Amino acid sequence: MENLPLANVMTKGLAIASSTLMAGVIFLELNGVPSFGFWKRTGEPCQEMVQAKTLISKQQLAQLLTLPVGTPQAKIREVLNQPYCKLANLQIRTGATAVREAYPLDFDSQNWLIVLSEGDQYAGYRISPR
Amino acid sequence: MPVIGSVHVNRSGPVSRNAPITWQVGLTVLLLLMGGCIPTAQPPPTLNLKLYQQWELQPGDQISGRTILGGLGDISVDLNGGPVFAPFDGKTELDQRRCVIFSSLQVPAYLFRLCGLSSPRLGDLRQGEAIGTGQILQFATLRQQSNGTWAIVEPTKSILERTLKQP
Repeated sequence: MENLPLANVMTKGLAIASSTLMAGVIFLELNGVPSFGFWKRTGEPCQEMVQAKTLISKQQLAQLLTLPVGTPQAKIREVLNQPYCKLANLQIRTGATAVREAYPLDFDSQNWLIVLSEGDQYAGYRISPR
Repeated sequence: MPVIGSVHVNRSGPVSRNAPITWQVGLTVLLLLMGGCIPTAQPPPTLNLKLYQQWELQPGDQISGRTILGGLGDISVDLNGGPVFAPFDGKTELDQRRCVIFSSLQVPAYLFRLCGLSSPRLGDLRQGEAIGTGQILQFATLRQQSNGTWAIVEPTKSILERTLKQP
């Protein structure tokens, strides 16, 4: 019985400490001082606009994640529809041009989805700052 | 019995009878304990990339007391003490062989491995910022495969130029 008050005190303390810590982290992130994530970056500019109204939902993103590397580009189009824009092509490995298309997210206006394909085949994606 | 140990339990007896512990005391103890969880100067965790190619020799291996600097697929570059630069905005980390792995959110499906750098800069980098210097750079381009491994592929000259020359 004597340990019970101590347990309650510890539980309350843990809850308060956690809340304080989270509030501090959120404050620092919102104010741009020491960031615990990537530093603030600006994304690459579009090279060619395709479809200005494109927005990707969480469901579409989840569908994309199920597609393996090497999936035909047509299948990617079925899932994501037309991209918002195309970024500059890259020559990363010999014999292939890396085509990158950008899709804004309807649940995150700060970032967008970049899909890279080579030779009409899906190669991978990243969520990147816009 | 509380997890914090018998010392605290032993003290709680007389304290709880004469001056009950307040929640402020509990909070203070917890904050002190949490302080021990804040990372200090420990080295960052290293990456363990699974390569598609199952070659026996890899950079960092030891043969007869000598270190293998590069293997198949590595492009050897004579840096002569000069720097290499981030080819894109991105991030550098170390792999388990102490080579630098450069990744970029702007370039899905690819990683770049740089072995042979001394005191490389780790963390977030902007395009053109120096990653480090070295005598001989072993540069490999890795492409993501459908089974989750990374295949070493032949890099283009333009990627090497972006790495060796500041824009």
